[in-house]
Amino acid sequence: MIKSFEDIPGVEWVPGTGEFIKVNSDLCSGCGNCVKVCLGSCYIVKGKKAVIQTLERCMECGACWYVCENEAISFSWPNGGTGFKTQWG
Amino acid sequence: MENIEKKIEMECDVVVVGAGFGGAAAAKKCADAGLKTIMIERSEKVGEKIISGLTIPFHGFLFGPDFIRDGNPPIERPVDGIINYIIKDIEKNDIDIDDSLRVPKPFSPIFSVGYNAFCKAFCEWEVQQAIESGVELRTKTTVVDVIRDNGHIRGVITENNEQIWSKIVINAEGSHGLLAIKAGVREKYPPDTISLADVYVYDMDKKDIDRIFGFSLKFCWGWDEQKIAPPLGHGNGLMVWPYSDSLHLMQDQCLRKDDGPVYNLAGALRGYHEKITTNLPWWRDEIAPKVRLRARMWDGFEIFVGLDKRLRNMPNFTDGMLLIGDAAGLENTELCDGVPTAWFSAEIAADVAIEAISHNDTSASFLKRYDDRIKAHPIIQWAITSTNRYNLRYAQKEHDEKKLKKYIHDGWGLGFCKHGSSALMKITLSFIKKDPKVIGKWIRMYLRYYYHWHHRHYENIQASDGTQKKQKGIKLKSYLRLMDWLLWITSPLIRLLAGLLEPLSGAANPVMKLIFPIIAPMYLWFIKKWDMAFDPLSKQLVQAVVTSDPSIFDV
Ligand SMILES: Cc1cc2nc3c(=O)[nH]c(=O)nc-3n(C[C@H](O)[C@H](O)[C@H](O)COP(=O)(O)OP(=O)(O)OC[C@H]3O[C@@H](n4cnc5c(N)ncnc54)[C@H](O)[C@@H]3O)c2cc1C
Ligand code: SF4
Ligand code: SF4
Repeated sequence: MIKSFEDIPGVEWVPGTGEFIKVNSDLCSGCGNCVKVCLGSCYIVKGKKAVIQTLERCMECGACWYVCENEAISFSWPNGGTGFKTQWG
Repeated sequence: MENIEKKIEMECDVVVVGAGFGGAAAAKKCADAGLKTIMIERSEKVGEKIISGLTIPFHGFLFGPDFIRDGNPPIERPVDGIINYIIKDIEKNDIDIDDSLRVPKPFSPIFSVGYNAFCKAFCEWEVQQAIESGVELRTKTTVVDVIRDNGHIRGVITENNEQIWSKIVINAEGSHGLLAIKAGVREKYPPDTISLADVYVYDMDKKDIDRIFGFSLKFCWGWDEQKIAPPLGHGNGLMVWPYSDSLHLMQDQCLRKDDGPVYNLAGALRGYHEKITTNLPWWRDEIAPKVRLRARMWDGFEIFVGLDKRLRNMPNFTDGMLLIGDAAGLENTELCDGVPTAWFSAEIAADVAIEAISHNDTSASFLKRYDDRIKAHPIIQWAITSTNRYNLRYAQKEHDEKKLKKYIHDGWGLGFCKHGSSALMKITLSFIKKDPKVIGKWIRMYLRYYYHWHHRHYENIQASDGTQKKQKGIKLKSYLRLMDWLLWITSPLIRLLAGLLEPLSGAANPVMKLIFPIIAPMYLWFIKKWDMAFDPLSKQLVQAVVTSDPSIFDV
């Protein structure tokens, strides 16, 4: 089902993305950089490791991937036709 | 993917990855040349994953693809200038204004410095033109890899493991460059070159926008300690673009400050937005009571890539592949506009692809001419090496108000003439030299765009005012005929003059720098005094345009 969130109006999320962003916890130092830059609150740090809580609020901005100094985050695109969409960009 | 077994599922001349601003223009040009062209886009509908400002500056339209200049793309509002608010102390309302970049009346608002647009509507229009030229569009399809054959790229692989073989790939994937990285052509950018933009779209009544904004953008800059805008040189404060019946607002900040810690942007951007929208007098008093949040989104973009020599020189071509637009790192380092450079590089890439295919040679040594032409393009090189935005950090460091104002004036005010004149003169003259009649096409473009914007005459958009009032006053049709005739008879002379002046373009910046202190105050005095006097003429011109038969603006 297409999702939307009250605090992010004008944007919809089409399901079926697959796990397009992944954290390799062996490489993660728990620095929290990803949490700091994610405007969608997709990450939390739990037990000194970053965990992706949800990708349903992800705008595919790439910020988390850029700031991970340990290359612990792998970033790819969601499956075609899924993920966020907006007509107001 | 290296040397995979060839299972031909699809074969074509050109594969274009990404149906954004650049991809559509490149694909159309290839198809117009008779090449079988497939364009692949990961989103369900074109443009719905592109987040932007968006003011596309005039040079994109004048010197970009013909079909855009001579067509009717959906625009949201012409732009006649920028009002910069330099916030020294928001509590004390100590704010200076630099509104020196302004098209004077009677030229404003028809002859604009750029056009605001929504990415989705604009890209859909561009892609529609490409499809009409024969481009095959595939949406909902993510390209995940390239096909390599002894190191030479021979096509792409989609997420469904489908192989699409082609003679050449034009990579128009946009900012993050995942495919270019996968193909081993480029690398991931460092976080201090990437800015995270937080974008808000507010509904607002068109009449209020007309009254409060007119055709001007409003940008705000503040000392760091004011905490109302991202640190100077590391981000842009409140930038407001007036659209037809909405405001587009952006704040952005680099992910990291040089080698320092990564910013807590989730908190900071929210804080700036709250503080500036409640404390800035004109927003608080005039805008806030009249707006309703329509949309919010964010995106990362490659703001300072061009300023780092190593990153700037990362390859934009390899055996069998050309990279264009954001994928080639061509984002403007000052104004954060990347659409014109995406269009220019798209056209160059299409030309090179056509030449390569006709010579049956898509090797890197043949494709090098693409890089040569990108490096020789005056506007692209100016756009990716401008430093005023970056330099704002030095004004902050020294807390030097004079410097702060100078960088703002040179970046987003009249001072741009001191560093942008050579590039603009060179490209303008080269176009005129090729065909002086292009002047007539430029003028018609401005008139046509304004007409259609006024009436909202776009496919897929409900026209707001379909009724035509009878034309009174200025008879544009006769003037346009006269212009065509004059251009026709003076063509050889204009061509000769343009040819003689073009080699002198390089001197325009130094000359501007020299005479700027004298002519800038004169110009500013002129527009202050004479804007009122020319206002009636400006209104007459607008009236003449919007009541004309639009076919007179066709080329
Ligand atoms: C917040 C913000 C504000 C901006 N403001 C301005 C402005 O005011 N003026 C201006 O001129 N520019 C502005 N820009 C920059 C401008 O948006 C870009 O420079 C422009 O969109 C680049 O065009 P492009 O064709 O290179 O890429 P894009 O327009 O980004 O298009 C890339 C397309 O490729 C698709 N794609 C990506 N990867 C794949 C894949 N693997 N498979 C299939 N499809 C794929 C994407 O979905 C997208 O549709 C701004 C950018 C941002 C983020
Ligand atoms: S930025 Fe990287 S290393 Fe730091 S917490 Fe996130 S995933 Fe872990
Ligand atoms: S891509 Fe952007 S929105 Fe998505 S998880 Fe990373 S930082 Fe958050």
